[in-house]
Amino acid sequence: MIGMLTALLSTAVLSGGVLALASVGEVMAERVGVTNLGVEGLVALGAATAVLVAISTGNPWLALLAATAVGALGGMVFACAAVLVQASQVLCGLSVTFLGIGLSAAIGHSVAGEPVPVGLAPVTVPVLSAIPIIGPAFFTQNLLIVPTYLLIPAACHWLLFHTRHGLNMRAVGENPAAADAAGIPVRAIRFWYVTLGAALAGAAGAYLSLAVIPSWSEGMVAGRGWIAVALVIFAGFRPFNAAAGGLLFGLISAIGFLGQARGWPIAAPVLNMLPYIGTLAFIMFPVVFRRVGRRGGEAPAALGEPYYRSVR
Amino acid sequence: MSRFQRFPTASPRRILACRAAALFVAIAIVGLVLAACGRNVGELGRLVLISTIGSRFGLEDLALFMSPLLLTGSAVTVTRRMGLWNIGGEGQFYLGAVGAAGIGLFVHGPAILILPLMALAAMLCGMAWIALPALARAFAGVNEIITTLLLNFVASLLVYWLATGPWRDRVTGALASSGRLPVSIPDMWGVVHWGFPLGLLIVVGLAAVMSSTRWGYEVRISGASAGVARYAGMPVKLRIISAMLLSGALAALAGMFEVAGTVHRLQGGMADNFGYLGIVVAVLARGSCLAVIPAALLMALILDVGIVLQTQQVAATAVLAITGLVLLLVAIADECAHYRPVTPAIVRPARSAS
Repeated sequence: MIGMLTALLSTAVLSGGVLALASVGEVMAERVGVTNLGVEGLVALGAATAVLVAISTGNPWLALLAATAVGALGGMVFACAAVLVQASQVLCGLSVTFLGIGLSAAIGHSVAGEPVPVGLAPVTVPVLSAIPIIGPAFFTQNLLIVPTYLLIPAACHWLLFHTRHGLNMRAVGENPAAADAAGIPVRAIRFWYVTLGAALAGAAGAYLSLAVIPSWSEGMVAGRGWIAVALVIFAGFRPFNAAAGGLLFGLISAIGFLGQARGWPIAAPVLNMLPYIGTLAFIMFPVVFRRVGRRGGEAPAALGEPYYRSVR
Repeated sequence: MSRFQRFPTASPRRILACRAAALFVAIAIVGLVLAACGRNVGELGRLVLISTIGSRFGLEDLALFMSPLLLTGSAVTVTRRMGLWNIGGEGQFYLGAVGAAGIGLFVHGPAILILPLMALAAMLCGMAWIALPALARAFAGVNEIITTLLLNFVASLLVYWLATGPWRDRVTGALASSGRLPVSIPDMWGVVHWGFPLGLLIVVGLAAVMSSTRWGYEVRISGASAGVARYAGMPVKLRIISAMLLSGALAALAGMFEVAGTVHRLQGGMADNFGYLGIVVAVLARGSCLAVIPAALLMALILDVGIVLQTQQVAATAVLAITGLVLLLVAIADECAHYRPVTPAIVRPARSAS
């Protein structure tokens, strides 16, 4: 029983990291009022880039850096169209998803199926890893889980809720006209935080292809980017909740993996449906029961809306 | 000196001009990238022309690509008229294939009876698949983009499970598909089956329903302004649900055409992104049902380019990147079309864009 729980939590922590990174990034973009539906494509692009760089240089950290940079670049393409030109955010996001999936398939074609020689290796923390269940799950993982679950969400939370700049960011997301009148550079803030979010999505891709499934294959992202977008709603647009949500959904997919490994009498494809059905349930229930629930967790008021200075 | 100012509306002519420019830019970028990768662009262009409009085989291929796109494109267009997005065309397509294959595999009879039954089952399955997002949208305001999309992955896994599990081919032992369906949509012209003219007919019929029935009118008004529609006593929630159900049925019908006309089996991955590409078709058509026809033609042309690239050892999925590029540039072009040069005499200083 203990062994099963340990395995379950270990897998959850490992595979939830992809969702945590990508959805914390999306929280930042949505807080400043931009829905980036391109996350799925950016994660795919990051994953393919990371594998390419890891195979050619043999350095996983360089691969992570390259994937993050490629994610940021993709985010800038999206932000140029959706923030600077103010084209439809839904369309720009979908096209970035198409672009990312297509480009990653093209550049990853030559290395498809090849194992990554140098993934992000697990590190065992002395003493702490001896704690039952939690120890092996959190303290024998790759180093990336520390920034994923702790440092990045903490930094984002501090930035958003404890700095003047974060107040400006939230103002841009809630009421860009008022923010503009107060002298806050609406477009610049939107541009750079969308880029930051996209960079995190690229990093999530690297995490996926270096630590979770150490190789590249078409379709390996399998909707993780979309689940990350859905998680943002579930998390009430807060970075720590998004990271915790990533862990929760890691747990849901871990149940599927465990079922396959232990030969439960349920077909593998049916078990694989769990994360998607779980996401659906989790984004529907809070909204359906919001009226009786607590306040808070609403979307930023100007989410998805372009801001034209000349139209008041 | 004249300057550019944003206007809330853009004339169709300006949009068309901007989009033509966008398409030109897209072709230029694709050509440049291919040239930079060391490919012979002129030769590729010639191959593309031959394999599309330049040969009988190419034209047949175009029509085959167009038939599902017509339906998935009009599925998204219906929800666009309602101001909503149905990103779940892929999933409804799969469910349509499941419904059609279920009837085709297990109900035996003359094709004239079985084919309409397959279509009916497909549409019911597609409607069932979109029912939950539709209800959640109408009664709780749950974002339909994400709910419809997540169900795509579930549908894809469901088809994969059926095709490799309970419905797998026990005759030839083919691994990832069901047995061959005993009935199929008859061919009309080469490999083009009657689904193609039927798809065209459905698009035209839908245009008539949208423009000249009370239901279509109420959907359009509800989409333009839900508040106005409610004030005028229109049942907005019911219209949201019925428009989304119709959308699901149309996308599912595309799945039925594909399974009964082209693939003849239920197999994993058979939707081949047609559901997602329907979004692109609807965007290109700008919410007009009749414009779905030329938009589907353009999309089919792009898909054919993908086939040509595949023969040149480029990954098949790379065509999605071209689609994404076209979509991105069209989105930018649509926004740019809202800007018109105005002379300073018209611009009042107080309202000028900085």
